[in-house]
Parts: sequence; C-alpha cells; structure tokens
Amino acid sequence: MVKLEFEHRQAGHCENGVTSNLLNYHKFKISEPMVFGIGAGLFFSYLPFLKMQHAPTTSFRVWPGMVFDRTTKMLGIKKRVHRFREPRESMTKLNEVLEQGYPVGLQVGTYHLPFFPPEYRMHYNMHNLVVYGHDNGTYFVSDTLMERLVEISYDDLMRVRYAKGVFAPQGRMYYPIHVPDNIDIKPAIIKGIKKTAYNMSGIPFPLIGAKGIRYLAGRMRKWEKNLGPERAAYYLGQVLRMEEEVGTAGAGFRYIYGAFLEEASRVLKQDWLREMSVEMGENANQWRAFSYYGSRNCKKRGKPEQSYDFLADMLLDCADREEKIFKKLARIK
Amino acid sequence: MHQEEKQNTGETDGLLYTYNRELFYHFDKEKGFSREIDYQVPANQTIIKQSWDAAEQRLDEVRSLIRAGKRSPIAYYMEKTLMEIPILADYMEMGKWRIRKHMKPKGFNKLKPEILEKYASIFGISVDALKNPEL
Repeated sequence: MVKLEFEHRQAGHCENGVTSNLLNYHKFKISEPMVFGIGAGLFFSYLPFLKMQHAPTTSFRVWPGMVFDRTTKMLGIKKRVHRFREPRESMTKLNEVLEQGYPVGLQVGTYHLPFFPPEYRMHYNMHNLVVYGHDNGTYFVSDTLMERLVEISYDDLMRVRYAKGVFAPQGRMYYPIHVPDNIDIKPAIIKGIKKTAYNMSGIPFPLIGAKGIRYLAGRMRKWEKNLGPERAAYYLGQVLRMEEEVGTAGAGFRYIYGAFLEEASRVLKQDWLREMSVEMGENANQWRAFSYYGSRNCKKRGKPEQSYDFLADMLLDCADREEKIFKKLARIK
Repeated sequence: MHQEEKQNTGETDGLLYTYNRELFYHFDKEKGFSREIDYQVPANQTIIKQSWDAAEQRLDEVRSLIRAGKRSPIAYYMEKTLMEIPILADYMEMGKWRIRKHMKPKGFNKLKPEILEKYASIFGISVDALKNPEL
C-alpha cells in the first residue's frame, strides 16, 4: 500500500496539468500556462488525409508527450520515460516506482476509463493522468479533467494503458525524479516562445500553423457543395470538437497560451509581451465565437444557420491575427 | 458572449453532462485572463451530442445491412463500440483486409472458434452474443 501526498489541481488540458502537478509534487511551483508555453504546446494542423472518427483531423496542439518532454528538458529536470511491450511488466514497474515515492504520469486511452464522463468515452489515446498510489489492486488517480480524485482497478488500468489505435500509449509512463535547485526559467520561456512562433508562422508547409488555418478555411467553403449539408456539419463539428471538447480549456488552447504570455511578461519584465497576451486573448475570443456560431450548424438536420463562407471568414481573421502575433513573438530576445 | 450562452440552456434538448465540472479559461479586455470551473456550455454540448448522434446513425445503417444479409455481426459490434477498421485490426492483431472479410457474412461464417472468442473478448461480450446480436 502506497498513497503519496499528491495535490490534485484541475487543469484545462491533461498533459499540462499532469506536468504541472508532478513538478508541484517535487516542490517546483509552475503554473499550467507556464508548462504549456515552455513546452511549446500550441500548434495548428489540418490533415484532410488522416481521418479520425470519420472526419479529417484537426489538431490545435503538438503530439502527445512533447509538452512534458520539452518542459523538463528546457528546465534541466531529470526524468524517466518508459514504454513496455509486455502489459504486466508495465504494471510491475508502476508499482515499483510508486513504492520509491514518485507519482507517475501515464498516457491512456479514454474508451475504457471507468470514471470518465460517458460522453467522452471515445477511442482517444492521448489522455494523461497521474497515479499517486495503490492498495491491493486499486490505483489512486488524479485526473485533471475530473473535479475529484478517483480510483481504478488493476485490470482497467492495464487495459487503458494498452488501448490500440492512433497514438497508442503502449504503456507509456513518465515521471520527474530530480528537480535541481534554483532553476532559471527565463531562457526556457524565450526558447519556448521561439519554438511556438516558428511552428505557427515559420514552417513552409501549407497544412501547418497560420497557413493551415487558411487552408482549412478554404476547404470549409466547399464542404456544403462537395459533401452535402449533413456531412459538412459533421466535418465542422469535428473541428469544433478538437477545438473545444475535452481539455483544451477553450478555443483550442489559445486562452492558455495568452495566459502564458501574460505570465511571461511579468517574469521577463518585457511589457510588450503583455500587449501580445491581450491580442492572443482577443484571438481566443474570436475562436470561441467561431465555435459558438459553428455549433449552430451541428444541431439536428435542417439548413445550416450560418453559411460556411461566414465561418471561413472568421477563421481567416484568426489566421491573420495569429500570423501577426507569432511573427512579432519570433523576434523575442 | 459566454455568459449569454449559459443562460440559454433550453436549446440542448436537456442533454448530458451535469456531474463533472471542468476548468475553462476566459479572457476579458478589462479583467484579463481568468479561470473558472464549470459545466460544458450548451454550444459544446451540441457538438458532443452530434458525434453520438452520428454514431447512432451509423449503427442504424449497419443494422439494416445485416438484415439485408450484407454484413456480419462483427460490423455491428465494431460500430457499437465506436471502432473503425484500423483500430479493430490493431486490437485483433491482424490485417485490415481480414477484418473487412470478417465483416461480411460469408467470411464470418468460416471463422474459427479462437478468432470468434478473440472478437468477443474485445467487444466485451460472449461468443453467443457475438453470433446472435440483438439488433
């Protein structure tokens, strides 16, 4: 029986929250937006050829695992990451690490997560949670999506750790083991901002960053004609689900990023970053308005209430704002 | 706008999601960024419901295909557990083409007991239920 003193704090996004809470356990106070910014989590990509749940994939963040990896690397925090071929072995290792006194972050699939809200139980493999103890085959879990601490059985936990499909977790577990004293987060913040700025405005590929948003807008104009109203609404719904559903804290992480810029301006004592954070906040509000109007087209059947041209124009506006913001941010020193 | 959405709760057909609150961020020009723990707003509930409705619709289509003798129970349970062929192929540890074959009655009827059992355990049902689905 192990039950570590783990402080459960809800977060907008699971991986940020897990990283922030794990570091908090090691007496390193870092907020969720800070983790997200240093880990350069913000992203945009629209991949029409990669279908998930019968519609093209839109992503508002980087690959799973990258936020934790980058944040710890940038801050010089020692960590361990394991994957296992053999499920039972992964559970034995988990017990071992817990007994050494480290809470552990796990990547899991959500379909078989018994405590998860039923509406969210889809085959989605990029969820993260923390296990902070176990007793006789029951594991104690802190899931940043949930209001309260929860529990899960050995079999269920093993099952979700070995969910299959895109981004299968393969038992991935990760945990910091040593946080050095007097970490200077300033260079990490600057590096994180540069990385995100490059991802959003510097990659010469049409499906990524601000260009990707414009590309999506262009495709969206043709959806109704090419796919018919019903599938068009479903495609639109898919974009909105990636933007607003489970753990983006709204507007596809744009709010978290704005909050990060605000915190960064205080830490770095650079006032212009505060202006950038306001612009990012307004951009996030524009995204939220987009999802609000878009969701009206996703109600049962009938004619779409908002034209797809109108929605695409809103997206173009977001793309322009983001391009402007990140071109400025790329020059940070 | 967020506020006005919340008061307008009538439009979601009295759906889902009233027992776990999540963390959301907001931005207001005067007040800056804020965090709030709350239920999903109706606009989000609409889009969540849309994907469940679509799943239900796909299930209906499979039901009629099975009745018409064009699909096997594998196709039905695959939709029922919200899977697609690539995921099911991953779980079954076999090629996608084999899954496609098993989704037709002809391929399904030739299945060996071991494979039927594997399917049943992945769908979380008995072999009997797999052979005779309650459509």
